[in-house]
Amino acid sequence: MKRMVSVLVLLIFAAACVFGAGQREADPDTLRVGMVTDAGTIDDKSFNQGTWEGIRQAQQDLGVQTRYLRPSGETEADYVAEIVNLYDAGYRFVVTPGFKFETAIYIIQQRYDDLKVVLLDGEPRSQDYESHVGPNTVAIYYAEHESGFLAGLATALQLKSGAVGFIGGMEIPPVQKFNWGFQQGVDYANSNHGTNVTVSANNVIYQGSFTDVPAGQQIAATMYDRGVKAIFAAAGGVGIGAINEAKSRAASGEEVWIVGVDVDQYEEGVYADGKSIILTSAMKEIGNSAYAMIEAELNGEFPGGSILTFDATNDGIGIPAENPNLSADVERVVFEVLEKMKTGEVAVQDSSAGLIP
Amino acid sequence: MKRIPDALLMAMAAVLLGLIAGALLMLAIGSNPFEGYYYLFRGGLMNMQRVGNTIALSTTLILTGLSVAFAFRTGLFNIGAAGQMLIGGLCATTVGLLVPLPRPILLVVMVLAAMLGGALWGSVPGLLKAKFNVHEVVATIMMNWIAYWVVYYFVPAYLKGQFLETESRVLPAASSLRTPWLTDLFNGAYLNMGLFIAIAMIIIIRFLLNRTTFGYELKAVGSNRDAALFAGIQVNRSIILSMVIAGGLAGLAGASFYTGYSANIQIGVLPIQGFDGIAVALLGANNPLGVLGAALFFGLLHAGKGFMNAMTGIPPEISDTIIATIIYFTATSLLIGRALDYVVRRKKKGGK
Repeated sequence: MKRMVSVLVLLIFAAACVFGAGQREADPDTLRVGMVTDAGTIDDKSFNQGTWEGIRQAQQDLGVQTRYLRPSGETEADYVAEIVNLYDAGYRFVVTPGFKFETAIYIIQQRYDDLKVVLLDGEPRSQDYESHVGPNTVAIYYAEHESGFLAGLATALQLKSGAVGFIGGMEIPPVQKFNWGFQQGVDYANSNHGTNVTVSANNVIYQGSFTDVPAGQQIAATMYDRGVKAIFAAAGGVGIGAINEAKSRAASGEEVWIVGVDVDQYEEGVYADGKSIILTSAMKEIGNSAYAMIEAELNGEFPGGSILTFDATNDGIGIPAENPNLSADVERVVFEVLEKMKTGEVAVQDSSAGLIP
Repeated sequence: MKRIPDALLMAMAAVLLGLIAGALLMLAIGSNPFEGYYYLFRGGLMNMQRVGNTIALSTTLILTGLSVAFAFRTGLFNIGAAGQMLIGGLCATTVGLLVPLPRPILLVVMVLAAMLGGALWGSVPGLLKAKFNVHEVVATIMMNWIAYWVVYYFVPAYLKGQFLETESRVLPAASSLRTPWLTDLFNGAYLNMGLFIAIAMIIIIRFLLNRTTFGYELKAVGSNRDAALFAGIQVNRSIILSMVIAGGLAGLAGASFYTGYSANIQIGVLPIQGFDGIAVALLGANNPLGVLGAALFFGLLHAGKGFMNAMTGIPPEISDTIIATIIYFTATSLLIGRALDYVVRRKKKGGK
């Protein structure tokens, strides 16, 4: 037994020398960019994945070192622990996706003044909900209304006529702005491109949570039964319920659509033979903004202390580059309008004035 | 020389084998295991803050481990520590958020509420076992899910935060088990007063099991229920009380975790610490001091794995795998014991 153990240890040691020899020593000059994932995995087809793809892109293009860590729980302590792990391992640039990091970043930004932090979709807050963006932190928000506008435009152009609906999660600004933008996009198509698509007040519903999957399915079923052809679901898990309903209806031959949110949800909506019920998605270009911040840091232009909004002008929002369910004409018009948004020729309001709230 | 107890020897063998298995895994993915373990242990111990967080993680494990171990001494397998812990956390959080009391009294009431909540959750499977002979494994697992959905309903309905609906409001500093002098001593670590509760419980449970008639009766029931009954021990009472105490211990774990380590309670999560408690109890041979050692060791692995990942790219799942392997070797400790016996005997035979 003893001999076996010692042989084993020896083997491990020998192998360690062989394998360990290849260890690449970190170049002290390269920027090390870390990410801590929110609840969920790195391949969640949502915030985590989007952020990580942007960081990986920066690794390819800009030669930074990257790593992500996954916290073992969802408490502030777990988030802080992983950021400290990155810091102690020499990482001086951390990207955190999602508002759940708000209180953790508030603590971190005070503790480490040589650590740059990018917080996506939130801003550092104390436990009393006081907002304070430290000098080395950047908080990033997105122009959801512009993203919703493009999705609404694409939906109306593709469907040409009929009713469309909106399912929101909680009635909070980022979700409301998706809704308002979506309606404006539909209106824009009706008045400029001769479509006849309607959004009626009873087809705009906030479920009240981001988690109730069955409720999402229920609401979507009611809307489809009322004759709605496409639903814009900006509702997290509730939206997944809506997607499930659409998938089962599409599988039995009905023509129903969902407009995805945050990231390209096309894969989420595949029901048969690679066909998907996702018409298009109202995206926040999370990866682009992470990339932009890394680039800024490398150029010595990191905008610490500020709250930024990513919109059409800095490629912060949009619809996917490829939309198999949209015709080429529709895509062309949408990308034209996106260009007009950049120049300010098309403006989208981020309030409910004149719209269904 | 005083003989090392068999249980300790076997636990150490299991830990060693687990670490070797982990090393092989690290090799298999092309990493250097020495480097990996170096950073794993550094991650848990390299400065006061990290030591504090290691102890903070261990605190919860001590209490859930004690819970499982205590029930096991009465022959009951408490899989429900997670649910009891969750209810304990819910009770403590509710009191902390809604009851206006001066801090010292409030903390005592919170801790008591957590203990009572956990005890209540443990009492149900105990009663079912005593009265209807419903197997406690099934009953405690079901109670886990009842706890899960109770929290799922209760938190958004009564404790909802301003913005987040998946977790409760944040506890004000006055009703947190974190205390400034401990936090400062450990540079902002999440170590909290739950540690003192945990240590007190180790002493109390050890005393209860080894030095009281009640403890003797519980152990008698655990060793042989029929013999205990024949000897005039109230078996049903023992079973119920054992589950109540086990539940209370897990409830305390909830207080230390949700009102100390964390500052609010999340819905939709069964705390993994409840299940880790089973591993802690197994490795600790259901002995309060063993539980302490096992909890500290597992706490160290949990605290260090993130740093190991950050430094070497070895995924944190490796340390989870090490824990799983150790449990596996502990569970099969009978085999290890026999192997050791065999070696010892052969040595004696050949003994030159």
